[in-house]
Amino acid sequence: MTAQTETTSPVRSLLPRLRIWPRAGSGNGMTIVGTVIVLCFAIATIGVLIWPPAEAYTGNLMERWKAPLEDGSVLGTDQLGRSLLWRVAAGMPWSLGIAFTAAVIAITLGTAAGLLAAWSPGPIRRVVQHLVDTVIAFPSLVLAVTVIALLGRGFWPLAATLGLATWPIAARVVYAEAMSISKRDYVMAARLAGVGSTTILITHVLPALRPTLLVMFAFTFADMLIAESALSFLGIGVPLTAPSWGNMLSESREYLVEAPQQMLVPATAIVLAVVAFNLIGDGVAAKARSRSRAVE
Amino acid sequence: MTVWTTIRGVLSKRGLELAILLFAISTLLFFLLRLSGDPAAVLAGEEADPDLVALIRQRYGLDDPLIVQYVRYVLSILTLDFGESLRGGQEALLLVLQRLASTLLLAFLALIVTALISVPLGAWLGVRPDAKTRKWVNGIVFIFQGIPGYIVGLLLIQLFVVELRWLTSIGNQGVTSWILPSLTLASFLAPKMVRVVAANVSEAMREDYIRTARANGASTADVLWRHALPNALLGATALIGTQFAFLMSGSLITEWIFAWPGFGLLLVQSVEQLDFPVVQAAVFVIAGLVFVVNAGTDVVFRLIDPRLRRQQA
Repeated sequence: MTAQTETTSPVRSLLPRLRIWPRAGSGNGMTIVGTVIVLCFAIATIGVLIWPPAEAYTGNLMERWKAPLEDGSVLGTDQLGRSLLWRVAAGMPWSLGIAFTAAVIAITLGTAAGLLAAWSPGPIRRVVQHLVDTVIAFPSLVLAVTVIALLGRGFWPLAATLGLATWPIAARVVYAEAMSISKRDYVMAARLAGVGSTTILITHVLPALRPTLLVMFAFTFADMLIAESALSFLGIGVPLTAPSWGNMLSESREYLVEAPQQMLVPATAIVLAVVAFNLIGDGVAAKARSRSRAVE
Repeated sequence: MTVWTTIRGVLSKRGLELAILLFAISTLLFFLLRLSGDPAAVLAGEEADPDLVALIRQRYGLDDPLIVQYVRYVLSILTLDFGESLRGGQEALLLVLQRLASTLLLAFLALIVTALISVPLGAWLGVRPDAKTRKWVNGIVFIFQGIPGYIVGLLLIQLFVVELRWLTSIGNQGVTSWILPSLTLASFLAPKMVRVVAANVSEAMREDYIRTARANGASTADVLWRHALPNALLGATALIGTQFAFLMSGSLITEWIFAWPGFGLLLVQSVEQLDFPVVQAAVFVIAGLVFVVNAGTDVVFRLIDPRLRRQQA
């Protein structure tokens, strides 16, 4: 992720490179902590998909607004007496599922576009670069709000819109990285030996891109989770009855006085997931950097 | 290179991007609106009576072939005619422009708060390499970066409005009502800005001219204030230009949380009411604003930074 300046405006070249991420610990430690949290979320998500918890949707009004740990409720209850623990769990397939799908769409499209730009002649490259610069310069949330207004709420409209609004960032990184990889000695050697450019792409460039893609996926996932919750929070995301984390936060605004836990529980879930993915991304990036430094 | 060639170069490149973007967005909106069903029925709202739908069809020329509609639509947009709001009947563009001042005020306040937080914190972090405190502050900045702005907004309301009852959280009612929205919007940008200032300062502190200054007996404070910080802030200010689009996304959420009367709030409300002329006008105004800020920072930095002047526009 060094040659980011290549496609961008010269103003961006003043910005320091990605290594400014603060190091919250050694690369490995961060990755492990992040991975453990993410695995817990993943297992819980699969569990909720297999056994949907009825407690998340039905509650007893007599038991509403229980504080956390009050009368045996773990995280408290909401305005309808539904368990917040189960609601936050039932929201995982929505919030994490949409973030995952959107990140996959964004990274896949971005990688394809970045490699296309790196591997094609001037005119196509310039078209892709212009497209990327143009989309990046626009507030993605504004775009997403507008498109979803027309497409309607739901899992797929949301995931597709977020993915389509985000791919240019991935394209820019992949392009810069692919350009720098294609100048390495072993790629030159393969080319001199007469290996075709498609084969070089698959056998040499894609494997070398792997750490970059992993880092990007982690950061993109975190961004997509934030964006999904933001849209649901604005009331323009998933269906209003779905217990996604953004919807829970949106509901909680009405009851900040009576039940702050209604806001704090989904907020903690979002922050925990985002920090976990940032930890993974940062840890992998730190490790990749130290390895490339060792090679040099 | 003179001032004018610089400005012309930036404007022609950015202007082309803006034109492509606006064309792409308006085309996308046009076809999505038609894909999502009968636009007349959408515009009339659910359970509208057939007469109203027929009236709308006639008024918007929805019985014409699609391509005719599209050309007419593009022409009207070229003359900045977005039509009238479907709810209030005012001219859509005017409605949006009336909100411009509020949004700009909020963005301006947020930038001031961001600067007040990130310049001292970033400079301090950048000067102290490898201290134990630095590790802790870095960790805190890292976690703050994982807290989305809307959660910051809710936490601020919880603390200052619900618990302490110091401030109000609704609308623009004078200076005290500015505090929470500007803090919330600043939280979108501040962690990033702290990192950039810190990285720039620590990079600048390792430069040769700093070593020369130090060899000549300048103190750390001298070096920081006179050499490292000005250099670092240049880069940090560039961040405002490149992050302005992100700031507008944040403004959308902040305005919604605090019922701040800017065009972000107008956009969300119009989207919920399917008021497409206003949505369209708001998207265009936001795109225009982002364009102006981006082009402006581009020009200013080319003019003040000799390193950039040498590069092609």
